Amino acid sequence: MGGKIYVEDVVKTFKGNVQAVKGVSLQVGDGEFFAFLGPNGAGKSTTVQLLTTLLKPTSGKLEVAGFDVKKEPEKVRLEIGVALQETGIDPDLKGIELLELQARLFGFSKKAARSRAEELLELVDLTDDAYRLSGKYSGGMRRRLDLAMTLVHQPKILFLDEPTTGLDPMNRKAIWKEIKRLNKEEGTTIFLTTQYLEEADQLADRISIINKGEIVATGTPEELKRTLGFDAILLEFDTDEKAVHAQQLAHQMRHSAELLKNEVTIYAENGTSILVDLIRTLDEHGLHPSKLNVQPPSLDDVFIQVTKEQKKEVETSE
Amino acid sequence: MNETKSSFAMDTLVMTKRSLITILRNPLIFVPNLAISMFFLFVYEAGLSGIANLPAFEGANYLAFILPVSIVSAAIGGAGGAGQALVKDLDNGFFSRLLLTPTSRLAIVLGPIIAGMLQLVIQAGLIIAVGFLLGLEVAGGAMGVLVVLLLTLGWGLAFAGYSVGIALRAKNAQSAQAGTFIFFPLIFLSTTFVPYELIEAQWLKAAAAINPVTYLFEAMRTVLIDGFGEPWPIILGFLVIAGLCLITITFSAVSAKRAVSTD
Repeated sequence: MGGKIYVEDVVKTFKGNVQAVKGVSLQVGDGEFFAFLGPNGAGKSTTVQLLTTLLKPTSGKLEVAGFDVKKEPEKVRLEIGVALQETGIDPDLKGIELLELQARLFGFSKKAARSRAEELLELVDLTDDAYRLSGKYSGGMRRRLDLAMTLVHQPKILFLDEPTTGLDPMNRKAIWKEIKRLNKEEGTTIFLTTQYLEEADQLADRISIINKGEIVATGTPEELKRTLGFDAILLEFDTDEKAVHAQQLAHQMRHSAELLKNEVTIYAENGTSILVDLIRTLDEHGLHPSKLNVQPPSLDDVFIQVTKEQKKEVETSE
Repeated sequence: MNETKSSFAMDTLVMTKRSLITILRNPLIFVPNLAISMFFLFVYEAGLSGIANLPAFEGANYLAFILPVSIVSAAIGGAGGAGQALVKDLDNGFFSRLLLTPTSRLAIVLGPIIAGMLQLVIQAGLIIAVGFLLGLEVAGGAMGVLVVLLLTLGWGLAFAGYSVGIALRAKNAQSAQAGTFIFFPLIFLSTTFVPYELIEAQWLKAAAAINPVTYLFEAMRTVLIDGFGEPWPIILGFLVIAGLCLITITFSAVSAKRAVSTD
């Protein structure tokens, strides 16, 4: 059970000519776990609102679960579950009341709504707090209840807009575990936005990086690391002077290198292949590192790299 | 899947029940509303009943004359509260969650509107009860009281519809509150304290003639003071209120569609 997402050239311009989304195209397959990664204000939430019928695009094509979002928003709503960045909870209602109300609005009978609510409370570990006002819940509990509310009608596609922002590690793990289970066991398609690289790396099959309303890179975590990432060669010397000298040599060899006290980090597309050259050159100048370490790229490096490149482009074009 | 088809009536019922629960869990909001409407009745009666000695009143009971003003002004608290409830839903994100369900937008706004209307009808019942304690006489009898309550129901829906629509446009408590100021011209540019014939300023006469609340006052006063002998003002009152309901509830349902998708 899953559904596809198809987005082509979508633009969203807000009042006052603020362009939040500038021609985004993406595809998410049946049962895929997709992560939309980007800094604050990159256009992640706007894209989610466009896909979930809450906003109308200025132009472009949006299809969710086989339906045109603009033409058939009602049909889209039946197929998707949405947990927005801000939880959607009425603090004057109890946990169980909110779940029952949600189920009723999705067409469940009174009896079915009650049993579904109890089932979900069990799932998100809130059974003991079912009859407390949700306004008295902690932040983590509210997140879990919000997730349960999005699952009431067993949606084919789940949209999660920064579902773990502001959560403590324990609650974050609990949410991760549940969405992983939904994806693996029930085949639910997942569209997750996050600012956390670790989250995207851990969970997603495929990632798009968005910055300033534009997608700047797309691929599996491995692909992204390979195509855009650089290996980092870390060299440690016994004195700061030697490190400075090593940095100069690396620059002469046309590698980018950063200095931190007695440590030099040299970036190269394929670290191991330049290693022999590098060590020989250092040796010729009497430099012998006391420590040497080659690290494959992390998504962090990719992220910093692509957002930095875009910044440069913007600066030079102005 | 164990789903049954959802219906508009069922959705409206579920939404109304939810609004009533949230009202009852906040007594500090609805209890003062009940008190204020009674307060209006006391001050109007105490301060203005001497006017009834004027010949134009033809010996009518001033209490019966001023009672509709008390009922209509009670709407600002009860029915107007529907808008405040909506602002709260917008603030805590619950409204977005409602919009993400397949429920019709009309059912979503009707919940707080009907709950607001019911609050006003209860207020009106209390006002009438207090009126009887103060010596109110109703020419239309029990049927007359029923008609007054039915008119109140219509006014409650109309005013709650307006306040919900404004709340959805304004999206914050202050602007929504400002929107309810329309209430003052509505209630005071009318036959509020004296019959139409006694209004001297021509501009006020003109304003009263186009003010829908005037027709509501007239309909209520007819059943309270004269009974059912002359049905036309009563029919006119119902027609005007029905038209007003149609306009304000449509306004609120359309605003619900635009509430999140503003561009």
